[in-house]
Parts: sequence; structure tokens; C-alpha cells
Amino acid sequence: MSDQSPVQPSSVIHRPSKNRLDGHAVLVYSLLFFGAFLLLIPFYWMLSNSLKTEAEAQKIPPTLLPMASYVDIEGEALEVSLGEKDESAGTVRVTVKAGDEHPRTGEEHVVAESDIQRRLTPRWENYPKSLQRMNFMSALANTTVITVLCVIGQILSSSLVGFGFARFRFRGRNFLFMLMLSTMMLPPQVSMIPLFILFRHLGMIDTIWPLVIPMWLGSPFYVFMFRQFFTQVPEELVEAARIDGATNTMIYWRLMLPLSGPVIAIVAIYTFMFVWNDFLGPLIYLNSPEQRTLTLALNAFNGNYGVSDVQLLMAASFVTMLPCILLFFAAQRYFVQSTAASGLKG
Amino acid sequence: MTVSKAARWLLALAATLVVLWSFFDVGLRAYQRWDTARKDTRTELTILHWGDNAEIEIVQTLVAAFEAEHPEIKINRIHASDYDTKLNTMFAAGSPPDLFYLRYEDLPKLSRMGLLGALDDRIKADIQTTGDDWTSDFYPILLDAYQYDGESIGKGPQFGIPKDFTPLLMYANLGLFQRAGVDVPYDGWTWDEFDDAMKKISALEDPNGKVYGSVIASWPGVLWNTIWAHGGDIFDGTDFKDVKLDEPGAVAGLEHIRRMRFDDKTAYNASSGDAQGLGEQEFYTGRIGVVGPIGRWRTPRFREIDQFEWDVVPYPHTPGVKQSSALAMTAWAMSSTSDHPDESYKLLKFLCGPVGQRLTARSGLAVPCIKSVAESEDFLHPGQRPANARLFVDLIEISRLGQMPPETEFQRIMQEEIEKSIRLDQQTPLEAAKRVESRWLAEFESPLRGEAYPTMPWLTIVVCAGVLLLLVVLGLFLWLRREKLGAIDRAQERAGWVFISPWIVGFLLLTFGPMGLSLLLAMSRWTSMQPLGEAEFVGFGNFGHMINYDASFMKSVWVTTYYALLAVPFGQVLALLVAVLMNQKVKGIAFYRTVFFVPSVVSGVALATLWVMMFDNNRGIINRVLNTVMQPLGMSAPDWFGVDAELFAIPAYVVMALWGVGAGMVIYLAGLKGIAESLYEAARIDGAGRVRAFFSVTLPQLSPLIFFNLVMGIIGSFQVFTQVYVMTNGGPGNATLVYVLKLYREAFEYHKMGYASAMAWVLFIVLLILTGIVVKSSKSWVHYEGLK
Repeated sequence: MSDQSPVQPSSVIHRPSKNRLDGHAVLVYSLLFFGAFLLLIPFYWMLSNSLKTEAEAQKIPPTLLPMASYVDIEGEALEVSLGEKDESAGTVRVTVKAGDEHPRTGEEHVVAESDIQRRLTPRWENYPKSLQRMNFMSALANTTVITVLCVIGQILSSSLVGFGFARFRFRGRNFLFMLMLSTMMLPPQVSMIPLFILFRHLGMIDTIWPLVIPMWLGSPFYVFMFRQFFTQVPEELVEAARIDGATNTMIYWRLMLPLSGPVIAIVAIYTFMFVWNDFLGPLIYLNSPEQRTLTLALNAFNGNYGVSDVQLLMAASFVTMLPCILLFFAAQRYFVQSTAASGLKG
Repeated sequence: MTVSKAARWLLALAATLVVLWSFFDVGLRAYQRWDTARKDTRTELTILHWGDNAEIEIVQTLVAAFEAEHPEIKINRIHASDYDTKLNTMFAAGSPPDLFYLRYEDLPKLSRMGLLGALDDRIKADIQTTGDDWTSDFYPILLDAYQYDGESIGKGPQFGIPKDFTPLLMYANLGLFQRAGVDVPYDGWTWDEFDDAMKKISALEDPNGKVYGSVIASWPGVLWNTIWAHGGDIFDGTDFKDVKLDEPGAVAGLEHIRRMRFDDKTAYNASSGDAQGLGEQEFYTGRIGVVGPIGRWRTPRFREIDQFEWDVVPYPHTPGVKQSSALAMTAWAMSSTSDHPDESYKLLKFLCGPVGQRLTARSGLAVPCIKSVAESEDFLHPGQRPANARLFVDLIEISRLGQMPPETEFQRIMQEEIEKSIRLDQQTPLEAAKRVESRWLAEFESPLRGEAYPTMPWLTIVVCAGVLLLLVVLGLFLWLRREKLGAIDRAQERAGWVFISPWIVGFLLLTFGPMGLSLLLAMSRWTSMQPLGEAEFVGFGNFGHMINYDASFMKSVWVTTYYALLAVPFGQVLALLVAVLMNQKVKGIAFYRTVFFVPSVVSGVALATLWVMMFDNNRGIINRVLNTVMQPLGMSAPDWFGVDAELFAIPAYVVMALWGVGAGMVIYLAGLKGIAESLYEAARIDGAGRVRAFFSVTLPQLSPLIFFNLVMGIIGSFQVFTQVYVMTNGGPGNATLVYVLKLYREAFEYHKMGYASAMAWVLFIVLLILTGIVVKSSKSWVHYEGLK
């Protein structure tokens, strides 16, 4: 974070005396640490469960790490599954599980409870297994194509419309703008069936177009952000461009768009996240298995008879959400720039 | 710095490669598809089915075999994991699949709407021409299950041919039976013997957790078994106005389940929101004596169990009460509007024929419907578990078909009220039964049910709307003409319109049109499965029904309000506080900012599944942590989506929403960064402390953002849907029936598009009013700099 030098000498306000500085810093750090800890638990839980065996994932009470039980049998530490326990003798019946090739797999032994060792045993094979099961590569390609088209369309259309609302005076503008904002309140479920009928008449069922086209026609929220941002661009800049002979399109393309980097970033990231995670849209419009997106493929894990193989589901979920997390890491500096927020003021 | 730069560069490169490859891959596949479609002149049939990978494989195999046999036919196979939504949208849009899976519970509903094609004539003609009476070897009761005469199942035309079925029985953990010293009841057991056995098994000790005697499945489809086994019934024959749940037999059955779960504690009570199937999962742990009444569908998964031996046993019975078993089954049915009925019939015959039945039998998923296949080794699988597989076939003798009304609302009402009794222990079974009856009868008292209405005068409406639109456009045009503009202004205006034109197109096509239609629908009765022309005009009838006859409507309003009241204030305050924290100038803040924001970038199905696991009472990490703190104090953590759902399920969703605090946080943080340092300095000079400065400088400066976040937060929280749909689907006992979920059900489960549209408009107006109030009040607390 180059734009955030950690300590600024000018921030004397926050530290009137040396003593209070320490107390303040301790408080801030403990809050930060505690909050971060809480927020990371779900990710941790997902990762940890994605590396367990099914039996381990189903354990009550849950284990915090992907552990497995081992017993020393004739000098060799072998993985076992636990069977019934004899309270009085303090022994447990165990079955050896050392993999299909191992000659001892399937053997049953009765061992003292104290002889059972618990060791960290992550099952990395869950990942390839689950990716194969959800047909990951083709779903990834489908999702990527839809998402990229949607992001491009959303940026172009919303900025165009935002530019129109911001920099041109025309009668009915305020009315249309208010109308646009009020459409944000409509529950999308209502227009679902009419829209489906529309796209069917256009012959677009089982293609990606019903998912992409709406994104090329501007979304109220993003139009609003662009409009607010463009309103704040000083008129002198635009005038100067006009004097240099720039047309409206050139002003939009060469002046306004390059200026609005942070807004573009936010629109891109929000659109990406929405499209990447959208479930209902693909469910309704895509039919063929080879057109499946990641969310559809993920949902197919929940068979018709309840969830099975929780650990595979967790592995698949983790891989599916990874691009969103990576994208944020790459683009996070745009999020904290005040220019982005200024788009929301007013 | 350089490391992070390099990482970012690599990431960008990887992303570019993935994007390029994706476009290439998808493009290539699209081209291939188009190319084969171009050369393809075959008749195309569409079929829709559900199922796991094994079932997909079976259907694929069958389709390939059929296509090889009939080169003139091409089959477009669609598999849907959210089957009902898919089927409903396809019907509603007028493009139903030619053949599709049909549960027999859904037969009355779909048949009444005229969506199913009767098969009798084709079967008869087939027998006459080919002499092949191919349905004669089917178990008669299974064919009966797909006959419907408009009132009762088992009479009338044939609307589907069953492809597989299963009676309901129990899976028993033989190891636990042996350890408890209980004989495995292969020849059946009475409820007294059952209770006795359950107590013995529950008393066993296990190092991995508590042992339960049983998991009793209790969703409506399997509840028959328990009720019948106690001598009760749900309806008396086919008079669906007379609910029999409050009579002694049914009450005894429900009370029995309630007692085992809450008093004896011998039955495991699923602690997750979605009752269906999750309790059955417990069986894998080896700490459940028996699980049932469920069907054959669990067998393939249970075969993977290697820690203990298991087998199937009958469901308990009461001496003196006729033994009976309910059936679960699936048929291939044909759409009444299929363009190729002859080819579809051929395909249906093939899909239901011995080849397919044999494949199903071998997969272990279900019982074949053809006697000779069911009695063969393909199904009985000697040497494979369950050893007692014959029981599935034998139970057909005592199988019985349950009668359900064509209105699916009944199943929901029953499930909601009965769950409140046997899952949440909030009311006695008798109270639940009475509530089911009164809510069900209220449904019938509504004028929307009984009364006849005139059909919607679409022609008049279209003409009126057209004239009105024309007048408005004309008026606008004249109004615009009235004011003469200079050339520059006119150019401005034209450019403005050109720039906003994408939105105008989108608005007219994707918003105004559909919304206009839905406003008209809000005043109509229309099932969405019929042509729009058959919609009836009911005026404000839908709104009256909401208030007077629909108990779960008010419930959903309350649930949503509860959610909004918690989520909006907590969410905003937390986001603001976190933003202030993130604005502190300390080392490493960038890292923390990332950590706090990352949760809000993930959403959807993956997230929902994760949180279901986290909130699980037994296996979830949340209650594990809470219990280590609370148990020493003599308390225990709430069972969020289990017995404490009424109070705690919604807060659980709020916790989940708060996890995504980063989304609101970044907006506030960006706002904080925009506040001029000079303002704070001025405040300090005036003698303000840090707290004072926060209230006098920070809050007023942020007020436009607070206002914005508040409006968006209210809108968002009233529209909450996906998490609830995936995680608890409204349950248990509609403790999580949020407004949009209720709306969704009305539209896609009960097919009341008119009513759903009316609900949507109520929501829209409520949101408008709430936003209006916030906007109005904002004048007194939102501080705008300079302008306005």
C-alpha cells in the first residue's frame, strides 16, 4: 500500500502525549486482531473441513484440524478408524485404514485407548476429486466468459448513461433519474417470468445472452455512482476539451472514463462478484450440462437426497470463491480511495 | 513492495490466460454445437430429470441406446438440481420438456392444470399393432398411482409410467443392536417393542458422541407411515375438506414422534434448518440404531459404510392396525403440448422398459417397477448389502397410496404446523392438527378459491394502455415543443438522450414492461401454467386474501421485519465503527483492511453451505466455542436452526450478514478519508476531545454516506432471499419464512402468479414508503456541503 504511509507526523491530534499513544495503539491492535480472528474463522473452517475425511467431518464434537487416528502395529504407525469402546477395560476396537494397497488394510485390532495417537492428516486428494466431480474446467470457462462480458458491458453502459445524466441538461432529466433510482427497489423475482417469456421469444434460452444482455443496458446503482462522480468533474476541464475541438464522445472516452478509474474498479468488482456468484439466473436460462456455470455445478453436489460428501463440497466451494478473493487482493487499493466514495455523496 | 508487485503481475497474467483460454474453449464448443446442429435434421425431443451422478449416467446410457436404435430422433437431455423451479419455468414459458420426471404427489396438481398427456390410447394402440402388452408385468399399484380422474389417485386415465419406486422402511445398525442385546426385528416389531429397543440402544456409550436409538424421518411425504401405523390418516378418502389429523390415530402417531425426540430423547432431532435428509446423515456416524421411514434411495451411500454392518427392517406397527407402507416413486410423464407425441411415447416406453429398470436396479438407487426385474438378482444383489433386500419387494403387498389434495399449499401448511410440534416442541400435536385444519379451511373460504371471476379483458387493456401511452408520448412531445430551444441546447438535449438511451431501452424492455404486466397480474388470478389469456380479473381480491385468509403472509412480514430491525442498525453501526478503526494510522493496517473486507466478496451457494455447517448444533464450530464458554455458567448455546429456531434462526442470518461488514465499511472508510484534517484541528482548538470530535465532525461529515447506506441496507434486508432459500428454505416451522421466499413460493410452487405479483407490489410500496421516510427525515440530519 504505497498510498498509506503508516505513520504521519501530522497526525498529532490522535496522540497528545506519549503515554496515551501506547494505550491507544494497544486498544486499536487488540480490536483489529480480535476482529480479524473472528472474520477468518469461517474461511478456516471451510479449509479445515475440505481437508478431512467424511467421517472426520461428521464427528461430534467437531475437530478443529483434519486429524486422523494412528496406532502402532508391529512397529508401523497405521491409520485406523475407531469402533466401539470398552469402558471397563479402556480399550477400543479399531479397523486399519492404510490405503487400498496396504496389506493390513481392513484388519481389526483391540488396542488400549492410550495407544491411539492423533496426527494431522490433510487429505489433499479431496481437491482433485471434487473438481473432477463438478466438471470444473468447463464450468470455469463458461463462468469466465459470462463474467467478462458482463463486466465490460456494465462498465460501458453504466458510465455512458451516468455521463448522460451528469453532463447534459435535458428536459425530463430529473424525473428520469428519480425513476431510475426507484427501480432499485423492485424485487427481481417479479419480473422473472415475463423476462423468461421475452427471452424465449427471442430464441435465447440455453445461451448466455439472457445473462449478458441486461448487463449491457446499465444498472441503476452503478449509473448512480458514475453520475455522481462525473458531476464533480470540474466544468473547466470539459470546456478546455471542447475548445480543443473534442466531441461529446471524445470527452466521454478520453476525459471522463480515464478519470473515473476508482469507480470503474468498484463497478467491475461488484459486477464480477454478482455474476460469478449468481445462481437463479443460470438455473433458469441454461439447460445443457455443458453450459453449466460454477454455481450450478456446485449446487449439483446437493443431490436430490440431501448433502453428501461435505468435505468435497467444501473443497469445491473454496475453489469457487478463490477468484473473488484473489480479485480483491489485486484491486483492493481502489476501495479505500475517497474518490470512490465521493461518487456516493449528495 | 516488489514482492507484492510481482505477485500482482503474475496474477494479472494468470487471469489473462484464463480469460483467453475460456473464450477459446467456449467459442470452440459453441461452434461445434452449431456445426452439429446445422447438419442435424433429426426430430428433437427434450427430456428433464433430476438425480445424482449415478442417475445421470443411467439416463445418459439410455438416451444413447435409444438414439442408436432410432437414428431419426435426437434427444436433448436436461438435468436440473433445482428441479421444480426448472420445470415450472419451462411450463410457464410455454416450452415444457416432452418427457419429464413426475412424483406421484405432484400428479393431481399438474393433471388438473391440464399439463399432462394421457397415455391410455397410445398404450392400447401399441398393444393392438405390436401385440406387446409391455405394462402387464408392472406392479399394478404403481400403475394405479399415476391414474387420476380429477379427484382421486388410482382412477381415471394413465398420466405416467413409473420408472422406479421404493416402499418405506428402516435401516438398522446391526452392531448397535448386538451391543444393546436387541434382536434384529426382521419379522416386524410393534411400537412397544420398538420403544423398548430404542431405550436400550440409547443407553449405549460411544467415544465419539451420544448414541441415539433412531432418526425418525418426518417430512410430509413419509409422515403417512407413522400416522397409518397408529391407525390414523390425513384425509378421509378424497374429501379434502375434512382433515383427519386431529383424530386419535394421527395424533397418537405425531405424539409418538414428539415423545421420542423430546421426552425419551431416544430419537435424534435434526438440528439443521432443512429437515429433509439431514437427520439421515447421522446414520453414517454409527451412533444411530435405526433410521426411517425412508426408502431405497439411501442404499448406494450406505453401502460405502465400512465401520459397521447394517440391514433393512420393517417400520413398526400397532397390533390390530392393518400394516401398510407408503410409497415414493418417480415416473416418466409426457407433456400434453408435446410437438412429437408419437416419438415421445416411443422414448417413454424405452425409458421405462426393462433395460432402464435393470440399470436402476443395479445402481441400487431404487426398486424396479417390473416384477421380473425386481425379483431378479439385478435388484436383490446377493452378497451385497442389504442382505434383507427382499423386504423392499415384499412390502409392495401392504403398500398403500396416500391421497393428497391438488393444492400443494396443504403440504406446506401441514409441514409448517407439524414441525412446530414435532421438531420445535412449541405446540402439542393436537394443537398442530387443529391449526392445520383451520388454516386449510381458511384457504377455501377465501373468495379467490371458490368464486368465479370474469376473464381479464386483455384486448381492452392493451387498447387502453396503447392509447394512454400514445397520449403520454404525444403530450410529452407537445410539451417539449412548447419551449423553443436554441441550437446549442437542442444539441445538448439530443446528446443527453443518446447517452442515456441504453438505460431507456433496458428500462422499457426489462423493467417497465414486466412491471406493467405484473401490476395487471396483481389484480388477476392466473396460474402461470395457463396461457395469459385465461387470467381472471379479481380486482383487489389478492390483497384481501393476504390480510384475511393467509396466515403465513403475516408471519413472513414479521420474520422480514425482525430481520431488518436487527440487520440494518447493527450492520450500519458496526460498519461505521470498523471503518473508524480502519482509519487509525497504525502499522500493518492495510493487512487488516484486507482481512475485514474479504468476507464480503464471497456469497451465494458456497457461502450458504458453509454457514449451515458452522451453525450446526453438534458439528458446528460456533456452538462448540459458545458452549465451552457458556456451559461452565450452566447455560448452553442456542440450537440456531433447530429447536430454538423461532427466536434464533433470524439472528443467525444477521450474524451471517454482519460477517460481510466489509461492504459497508469500505464506503464509510472512503468517506472518512475525505474529511479534511483542518476540521479536526478546528475542533481540537475549540477544545473538543476525541469523542466529541467524532460526534461533531465525523458523523455530520459522513451523514450523506450514512443516508445512502441506510437506504440500501433497508432495501437489501427486505429482499433477503438466496441464503434462506439455500440454507433453511423457510423452516423449521416457517421460522425463517422471509417475505421474498414466501413470494417465490406463491409464484413457483403454488403457481399463483397473480397473488405473487400483488405481494411484489406490496413490497415495492412498503419500500417506497420507508425510503420516503428516510429521505424526509434526512433533511434534518444529513449534512450536505455547499450545494443543496
